Amino acid sequence: MSRNIVVLVGTQFFKKTFSTKGFLILLGVFIMVLCYVSINSWNAYKTRHHAIKEHQVKARESWENNPDKHPHRMAHFGTFVFRQQHPLSIFDSGIESYTGNAIFLEAHRQNTANFSEASLQTGLVRFGDFSIALLLQLILPLIIFFIGYAAISEEKEKSILKISYLQGAEMKEILLGKTVGLFLISSLFFIPSFLALWGISYLENQTTYNEIIIRTLCITVSYLLFFMILCGITVVVSAQSKNSSKALLSLLGIWLLFFIIIPKMAQTVGNYWYPNLSKIEFKAAVEAEVSKKGDSHDSNDPYFKQLRDSVLKVHKVKDVKELPFNYGGFIMSKGEAQTAEIYKKQYEKLIESYRNQNSITQNLVVFNPFLAVKKISMSLAGTDFDTYVNFLDQTEQYRYKQSQQMNALQMKFISNKAKGSEGKTHVVDKTYWKSFPDFTYQYIPIFQILSKNLLSVISLLFWMLVIILVITRFSNRFKII
Amino acid sequence: MYLLLIKQFFRSKTVLLAFGILMLLGVLSIGTGKQFLNQQERTITKTVEQHNKHLETQLRLHKDDLGLLMYYFKFSFINSLQPLAGIAIGQSDINSHIQNVTILNLEGQKYDTDLVNPLRLQVGNLDISFLIIFLFPLIIIALNFNVLSEEEEKGTWKMISIQGKTPFFFLLKKLSIRVFFVFVALALLFLFAKIVLHIPFTIGFINFIAVSYVYLIFWFSVCFFVVLLRKSSSINAIILLTMWLVLVVFLPVVINQYIVTKYPIANAFSMTIKQRDEYHKRWDTDKQETMDKFYKHYPQFSKYDVKKEGFSWLWYYAMQQMGDDESRLEREALYAKIKSRENLSRKWAQFFPPLQIQLSMNEIAQVSLSHHLKFLEATTQFHEGVRLDFYPKIFENQKATSVTWEQFKPSFYKASTTFKIVKILPVLLLIGILVGASIFIKTRTF
Repeated sequence: MSRNIVVLVGTQFFKKTFSTKGFLILLGVFIMVLCYVSINSWNAYKTRHHAIKEHQVKARESWENNPDKHPHRMAHFGTFVFRQQHPLSIFDSGIESYTGNAIFLEAHRQNTANFSEASLQTGLVRFGDFSIALLLQLILPLIIFFIGYAAISEEKEKSILKISYLQGAEMKEILLGKTVGLFLISSLFFIPSFLALWGISYLENQTTYNEIIIRTLCITVSYLLFFMILCGITVVVSAQSKNSSKALLSLLGIWLLFFIIIPKMAQTVGNYWYPNLSKIEFKAAVEAEVSKKGDSHDSNDPYFKQLRDSVLKVHKVKDVKELPFNYGGFIMSKGEAQTAEIYKKQYEKLIESYRNQNSITQNLVVFNPFLAVKKISMSLAGTDFDTYVNFLDQTEQYRYKQSQQMNALQMKFISNKAKGSEGKTHVVDKTYWKSFPDFTYQYIPIFQILSKNLLSVISLLFWMLVIILVITRFSNRFKII
Repeated sequence: MYLLLIKQFFRSKTVLLAFGILMLLGVLSIGTGKQFLNQQERTITKTVEQHNKHLETQLRLHKDDLGLLMYYFKFSFINSLQPLAGIAIGQSDINSHIQNVTILNLEGQKYDTDLVNPLRLQVGNLDISFLIIFLFPLIIIALNFNVLSEEEEKGTWKMISIQGKTPFFFLLKKLSIRVFFVFVALALLFLFAKIVLHIPFTIGFINFIAVSYVYLIFWFSVCFFVVLLRKSSSINAIILLTMWLVLVVFLPVVINQYIVTKYPIANAFSMTIKQRDEYHKRWDTDKQETMDKFYKHYPQFSKYDVKKEGFSWLWYYAMQQMGDDESRLEREALYAKIKSRENLSRKWAQFFPPLQIQLSMNEIAQVSLSHHLKFLEATTQFHEGVRLDFYPKIFENQKATSVTWEQFKPSFYKASTTFKIVKILPVLLLIGILVGASIFIKTRTF
């Protein structure tokens, strides 16, 4: 294979497309839209970021400003966690709009994360979210198809291909050259998009998001692979087709099928096969198991009665009032540990059913590079399912720690004579509130994200390999006339 | 003549493929709707079932202390969806339509969501409304883009021009066949849906059908207009697909993002913090102050007194009430923002049929945001009713056995529709303009 010919064909395609009338308009419109969406998403992110930070500080202040209090009052005063977005969500908003933003963490109860963006939006929310990733995942592929559909078929129709062949250009050189040319043309579209991406990453390069550069790099590489695959597919389809309009139709069909219909169907079928419990069923399941183990609120519950007797025996006293620690706090800590464990078990089952619902889409990444790049992009932008579940897990851990800390304070400082949590007599010093650390979310480490997306990465590489093989090894299958 | 044209129409692989995909997705979409409705029904049955169990347990545990019982006892308020929600799920999967609330501070409870896979929400539902808004236009484009250009490219158009008196009518005939079969396909889907989802023939269903057909006519007139421009098949395909992309994919997301950024809703967070703080701080503030505020809200309860020292349920519920009462400003600000979002959406939607149709369908099926807000308001009223029932009973230290519990079965919310068919007038106007423009072009190109 001669490199000169490849370069020649490539540059020729580039020049020809570049000078097509309308091309600069298309490019101009694309870049304008890109600028608009980047600036708009950036502003939206900043507004939300500040709002969330401000409210988080406000909520924390009101926690710290509590006077001396009974610790159980504090356990119910609880903590609000407002979900921070990863800065890369400006680039790819993923499931961001559909995930809850505020969660209230208190004793005994696992509350849902509420106030998702979508729950406060009008019916237009169903059309989807607008982000740079949408441009790169849906729109740019279509542009590549539009630009490249005639790459080979037109030359066939105009009998240029024959002449090139006679002059010594091999089919694979032409195919490769066109692919390179198309890739160069599409780089005029995606390089500005990457500039926007790297801009975000540069400006938000703080310690909280310390892996943002690596994340950005991985996103860039996967999109590059994705576009290479698309250019290859375009050229191969163009070479396969009898004429240009057939080539265009096939490519549009591919776009519709792979980018719109299959993703939607996959999730629909997943939901259909693996329905999940509704909240009422979920709660019923948790409650059923709790009452099987014993209800700490029930003074006659056999499990807790037995527990009481054994505690009394160990401390050699007759009544819980004589114990050296607050018995109410002790019982609550036992109850909390028990319900939290039961809840966790049920919750894991629920998440498992969600994962099953997503599994069809997940497995289809092998056949659909669009799904592969979408998944990688979302994961790295911190706007995917795993990140959200991880967030919920961390809030639950925090909730548990908070409740148990308050129970421990109650056991230590509250007298057994206390009748209730009201008033100023049975209280704990307020310095304890401040000393309990605030919630901070830790993002999933990059290594873990990549290993979870291994299938998608392999899929992109596999498709790349297939395209290269088709172009170099099977080029003689393509007809020249 | 028609018979031959119909035969020719079904010879094409594209046509068979288009209708094949349509019917497959149609079946899938009805299945989705069915499953959605079934799940709703199951949840409602479960709620009723759970209610009785819950009542039994709570009565057993706290029968001597009504105040404590009411601390735990949950009342169910259900927004049962109508069957039309099966063809337009809208936002009813995002917002929970079953409320389980105690008589405590309501603002801390009523925004609780149901359990739904967020990825599922993001991908959206493949219901009939999606099929109509997204897929039917594509089918219409695929069937029509080369209706004239193909004949020109194959050279058959010249023969038609020579043989027929009016080639334009020939074109109209070809077009009418496409209109007919697409309409039949949609009618079939509606028929299946009606049977499978048990949709009654109400004015809502008829409106829904009317709106859908108007939308299809809109896309036919778009195609008609482009076809008459007499460009090549490829150019037509590109023009039409770009129009689809802009109208159905691109503009809606841009407009939605614009609306969302124009009215950011941080008020929800302020409100939720406020309702907690206003209740909790009462544990440490002057009792009488709390009670004065409570008596001001409910003068009828000022006859009940609170002891200076110690705990009492009257004081406790007065504190809880403060969470709701004192966060009113924040709540109103939040609702005002949501209303602004709604108004702006409606304003923009007038100019773009896909948006208009989406909002109309949601309204007809009663699954829009405004319906959810109404449900939330109704929840507040329901909650207030229960409160007023139980407050005096608790304050008078009545026994739990003195309450007629049958009265407090799960209640159902009755939604009402606000949709008026005139709302699709702008779409009809657009169709008129397109057809007019096509006729104008026709005089020049034929």
